[in-house]
Amino acid sequence: MKTMVEVDGRGGTLQWDRTEQGSSFALELEATAAQTGVARILEVEPGIYSVLLNGRSYEAKIVPGADGDWYVDVDGRHYAIGLTDPREQAPGVRGQNTDGRQNLKAAMPGKVVRVLAAVGDEVSEGQGLVVVEAMKMQNELKAPRAGTVVLMNAREGMTVTAGEMLAAIE
Amino acid sequence: MRAMFKKVLVANRGEIAVRLIRGLHEMNIRSVAVYSDADRAALHVRMANEAVHLGAAPSRESYLRMDRILDAARATGAEAIHPGYGFLSENAEFAAACEAAGIVFIGPSAESIRLMGSKTAARKRAMAAGAPVVPGTEDPVTDGEEARTIARKIGYPVLLKAAAGGGGKGMRRVNSEDELEGALRDASSEAERAFQDGSVYIEKFVERPRHIEIQVLGDKHGNLIHLGERECSLQRRHQKVMEECPSPLVEEHPEMREAMGEAAVKAARSAGYYNAGTVEFLVDADRNFYFLEMNTRLQVEHPVTELVTGLDLVHWQLRIAAGEKLTVRQEDVRWRGSAVECRIYAEDPDNQFFPSPGLIRRLSRPAGPGVRLDSGVYAGWTVPLEYDPLLAKLAVWAEDRETAIARMLRALDEYYVAGIKTNISFFRQILTDERFRQGLLHTGFIEEFFARHVAETPDAEETERMAVAALVAALHATGAKPAATAVGAPVSKWLLAGRAREMR
Repeated sequence: MKTMVEVDGRGGTLQWDRTEQGSSFALELEATAAQTGVARILEVEPGIYSVLLNGRSYEAKIVPGADGDWYVDVDGRHYAIGLTDPREQAPGVRGQNTDGRQNLKAAMPGKVVRVLAAVGDEVSEGQGLVVVEAMKMQNELKAPRAGTVVLMNAREGMTVTAGEMLAAIE
Repeated sequence: MRAMFKKVLVANRGEIAVRLIRGLHEMNIRSVAVYSDADRAALHVRMANEAVHLGAAPSRESYLRMDRILDAARATGAEAIHPGYGFLSENAEFAAACEAAGIVFIGPSAESIRLMGSKTAARKRAMAAGAPVVPGTEDPVTDGEEARTIARKIGYPVLLKAAAGGGGKGMRRVNSEDELEGALRDASSEAERAFQDGSVYIEKFVERPRHIEIQVLGDKHGNLIHLGERECSLQRRHQKVMEECPSPLVEEHPEMREAMGEAAVKAARSAGYYNAGTVEFLVDADRNFYFLEMNTRLQVEHPVTELVTGLDLVHWQLRIAAGEKLTVRQEDVRWRGSAVECRIYAEDPDNQFFPSPGLIRRLSRPAGPGVRLDSGVYAGWTVPLEYDPLLAKLAVWAEDRETAIARMLRALDEYYVAGIKTNISFFRQILTDERFRQGLLHTGFIEEFFARHVAETPDAEETERMAVAALVAALHATGAKPAATAVGAPVSKWLLAGRAREMR
C-alpha cells in the first residue's frame, strides 16, 4: 500500500506491506535519508504498539489529533502524522485564499472574551478582530491584511476549539 | 499548645490541593476539598475525605470567595484552612477573616502578610533589616541634574522605572550618561500616557541576573531557620519553568548559602514571620545578591527543597500552625544530593506556548528510582480553561546534578500525556543544552536559548523513530491487525529490500 505522509510537517511517501516477517516499508521524506526495513509490530494495549526494528525495541502510542492527523509518541518523542491516500489528493487543498478570502481560525482553544469587528466592517492590516482567552492568557486574532469582514462566527462568551473558524475577510 | 488538627480544609485546586491532601492524610488529619462547577470531577475532590461546592467556574465566583470558603470550613467543622499558593494564599484580609472566625490560617499572621505583601514596603523593611536591595532611589527623580548625580553614584547601566508602573511600561535601560536625559524624557512621557503619572525612579540595572530564593521556616515561638536556596532562573515571560536545589552557582560558592540564608532570616524576622515563606533574591554576575520580594506562602517549587533536605514542608506547616515548636535547628539542616523540578504545563511548545486545555485521553506517569510526581490530573479528566495551565510538577533526586539531569531525561521519556499539548518536549531540549548542563543560568536563558537554537537535521536515531511513527499511524489508520499474519501474501520488493538490509 502506498500513502502520502507528513511527519511533523515534512512531506513524503510511505509504502508498506504486511508479510509473514512483519511489516516491510519504505519511507521517503524531504530533507531526510530514505529508509527501508521490516518492522515487527504488535498492538500490546489498545492504541499502544510494540515495534521491533533493526534490533531495536520501540513503544509507540497513538491517538487521533486535530484535522484528521494522528499523534504518535515514540519512546517519549512526539510526532504529528498526516496521511493522505494519493488518489484522494487534490492539488492545492492545503491552505486556502485562492479567491482572496482569508479565513481566521482560533490559535488556541478558549473562550471568546471580546469581538472587535462585525460583518461589513472595513478593517486594516493588523487590526484586532477577536480576543480569545484561556488559562489566564489572551490571544488577539488580527487581520492579516486590509479588507472587509465577510464572516463573524465569534460571539462573546462562546467556547472555541483550536483551529475553529472564527471570522473571514475578503 | 493545642492538639494537632483533626480536620483541615484545603482552599485550592489542582496539583497543590492534591499535594496538601496527601500531607494531611499522612498526618492522620481528615481533609476537606472545595470545588467549582468546573472541578466536580477533579482529582483533589476525588482524593479528599469531604468536599464542598463553592460556585461557578470563574475563580472570583469560587476559589476567591472568602465567605463561601469560611462557610464551608464552619459547616464541615474544619479547624484550619490551608490556602496553598495563588488564590487567597497571600491575602491578608482572608488570613484576618480566618483568625476572626476562630479558624487557623495555615501560614503567617495577617500582619506579616501585610508587611511583606507590597513590593515597596517589603523593600524598605528588608533594607531596615540589613538585607541588600538593588541600589537605587525609592522616590521619583525630578530633573536631569538629580538623575545624573544618582546614576553616577550607583553606576551604569541603570534602569529607569515608572513609579506607578508595571509590565515594562515606562522602563528604559540607560548605558551611559549621554543617553540619560533623552531616556528620562521618553520614560516619563510613556509613564504619563500609561499611568497618568510621569514620575520615574532609578535603579541599578542588573545584567543577566540569576533568580535564587531562600526557603525559610519559623514557629510561633520565635524560632526561625532557613532551608537553603532554590535556583529559579529558568523563566519564560517571568514565569518559572524549572527549578533546582542546590543552585549550581551556590554549589561552586558554598559561602553564598549562609550569607543569603542569614539575610533571608533577618528580613523574615523583621516582619515577625512564622510558618513557611520564601525570600527571593536577584544575583548578579559578581555574585552580589539583592532582596527582591518575599512570598508569604508555600511555593510551587517546594519539592526540590524537600528532596534535598529530607524535611516535609507541609507537615511542618501544619505542626507550626497547631502551635508546635520547630525542633529542627539551623545546624541540623543538611543538604544532600541534587534535585531538579520541571513544571508540566498544558501549553504547546511548537505553537508559541499557547495554552492547551481539554480532554486528557491517555496518561502514563514516570516512576522508578528518585522520581516524584505531584500531579493534579488523570486520563479522562478535562483540563478546564479557567485556571492556570500547571498540570503537574515532575521532580527528581539524585546524588549529583549531572545524574539528576540524566534521571529527569529518563523520567520525561516515560511521561506521556495525550489529547492535549504539554511542554514535556521543551524540557528535553533544555536539559540536553550544553550551557544548561554547565549551570550557566540567568533569567534571560530561555530567550537566548531560542535565539541561538537552530532546528537540527534529524540524525539516524530520529529518522528511525519517525519511520516507526509513520508506519504505526498507517497501520492503525487502515485498521490492519498487526497481530494477524496474511497467509500467502505476495513477497514484495520492499520486503526483499528490508531483508537484504537485515542480512547486512
